[in-house]
Amino acid sequence: MFEPKGGWFILLKYIVKRFLQMLLILLVTSIIIFALVRLSPSDPIASMTKGKAISAQTRQELMGQYHLDKSLPEQYLIWITGALHGDLGQSFIHKDTVNALIAQRLPTTLQLVLMSAVLAILISIPIGVISAVKMNTALDRTLSILTLIFVASPVFLTGIILMFFFALKIPAFPSFGTGDGFVQNLRYLFLPSLALGLNMVALIARITRSNMIEQLNANYAATAIAKGVPYSRVVMGHCFKNALIPVITVASIQFGTMIVGAVLVENVFALGGIGAVLLDGVKSADYPVVQGITLMLVAFFLLINLLVDIIYAVIDPRIRPE
Amino acid sequence: MSIIFYNTHVPLFRKKKKKEEGVLFTVPMVISLAVLAAIILCCLFATAVSPYSPTGQDLKSSLALPSAAHLLGCDKVGRDLLTRLFYGGRTTLLAALGVVGLSVVLGVPLGLFAGYYGKKVDAVIGRVCDVLLAFPSLLLAFVFVAAFGRGLSNAIIALGIVYVPMLTRLVRSLTMVEKNKTYVQAATSIGYSDFRIMFRHILPNCISNITVQITLDLAYAILDLASLSFLGLGVQPPTADWGAMLDEGRNYLLQNPLLALSPGLAIVVVVVSLNIFSDGLHQYFEPIQRALPSFEKVEKREKKRMEKHEYAA
Repeated sequence: MFEPKGGWFILLKYIVKRFLQMLLILLVTSIIIFALVRLSPSDPIASMTKGKAISAQTRQELMGQYHLDKSLPEQYLIWITGALHGDLGQSFIHKDTVNALIAQRLPTTLQLVLMSAVLAILISIPIGVISAVKMNTALDRTLSILTLIFVASPVFLTGIILMFFFALKIPAFPSFGTGDGFVQNLRYLFLPSLALGLNMVALIARITRSNMIEQLNANYAATAIAKGVPYSRVVMGHCFKNALIPVITVASIQFGTMIVGAVLVENVFALGGIGAVLLDGVKSADYPVVQGITLMLVAFFLLINLLVDIIYAVIDPRIRPE
Repeated sequence: MSIIFYNTHVPLFRKKKKKEEGVLFTVPMVISLAVLAAIILCCLFATAVSPYSPTGQDLKSSLALPSAAHLLGCDKVGRDLLTRLFYGGRTTLLAALGVVGLSVVLGVPLGLFAGYYGKKVDAVIGRVCDVLLAFPSLLLAFVFVAAFGRGLSNAIIALGIVYVPMLTRLVRSLTMVEKNKTYVQAATSIGYSDFRIMFRHILPNCISNITVQITLDLAYAILDLASLSFLGLGVQPPTADWGAMLDEGRNYLLQNPLLALSPGLAIVVVVVSLNIFSDGLHQYFEPIQRALPSFEKVEKREKKRMEKHEYAA
């Protein structure tokens, strides 16, 4: 049976240690998020009432209802205890709780991010492998420049260009909005996820390329070729498998950062996912929404990084501290 | 988007046989520099290059298509697009410089302190960086903008802080290598102050790597600023940078797609050029990345010299 070097116990200790570290960082970030959001110069009551004049008494009541009359540390404690119990509070602007908003909007964003991750991998890994095999040829250089252009083009520009050609000029895909359910969304979310995915292609392709080059130059590859193994099998069967680990690491870290890119893409295609709610919240001083969603996204980001580290530690014992 | 321009140590442009070993101005470098210089000059001398005003409205030519008078056409209220591109570029590039400047002013000293003093100083600075890196970069900028309000200066401050940890980590690791070298020991034994050693001795030795990172950061900053402006969190009208122009232009995609595409293209061109430029710098500064001098050439030269000697003898 598979047994990590040093035994399961050391690995477990490492995982627990990293997990506690992550919780600590999350706690600090929650304080920072809270403090920053409360520094906001805009008046939450004004955005709640949409600028209508209200009596001092109503104002007082609203302040009381949302605990805005308490001191900041008290407010923080109320918020963080709620968050620990899985309750992120009540939105100032929307009639829903933050939890309900997230539950409503998260599926779209998650599907968008997942689809773009799949597309990014499907596009970038072949590009990386091909440019490694054809290293320093015209093809390699063309692919490099192409991916460089993709990464230099902000996601919203890629989105607009895709929308212009494949939704407006050739109406093959819907230009905005979402459909009902997962299957219909595959069509609605194709262009947005392509835009988001293309942005990630350059990095993953470049890592694949450099790792493949390293593996192709390794002794075992030369041995395999000398033994008469077909070149295609050396490339795909031997080298590709070895080159894949760092590629997976980078791809999964990208997965975390994609969430922010999703905000931009959602804006272009009016998808109304989690990003749109966050953006509205930022613009209208909806404290609970901004705090809640930011905290959730940071937790998500940290969790992915932690998972990658753990997987890495399982595979590669050198990472683990003694 | 925090690690887009990941350095994979396999440079994008490496010729099989390089003619100019260790020369800074290779062909891609010259092209990217020329493009950058042209764009910067146009933006800098926008008033001289363009006869129109960036805010002067002319409703008669609303959404005009490209013509001799308006090379790229006009926007909704009849402002010349090319002129606005120049002025927008001014805002974008200056703002990006501001972001990078701020991150250098904060990040480099922090990195030097962390690397030089080590121990507790390093631990504290390291934890601060950990916390900042826990946010995906633009998300932190969102929260900053939520805190300090929308606007260009807030966006610059937000992104400037977001970029600090990466620079700090780079400078820290470079300093940790440098501080064990003999010249630092020598400087210490003469009795130079820590500050003098850090800023006058160690920093100049790290400057090449920092420069490469700074050019890359400029590219990031342009992209991130454009994103913020695109979402309406950066510059506020009537000023416009390329991101805000893209946001405006996307509503008229069918009437005049150039309104959205040309600021987009400007961003892409600048970012690609900066990338190639930074790649070139990196190759120049790191001799390992350079192609070896061609052996044939050396052989030929030696042969010639030998022949000369023979003749002389």
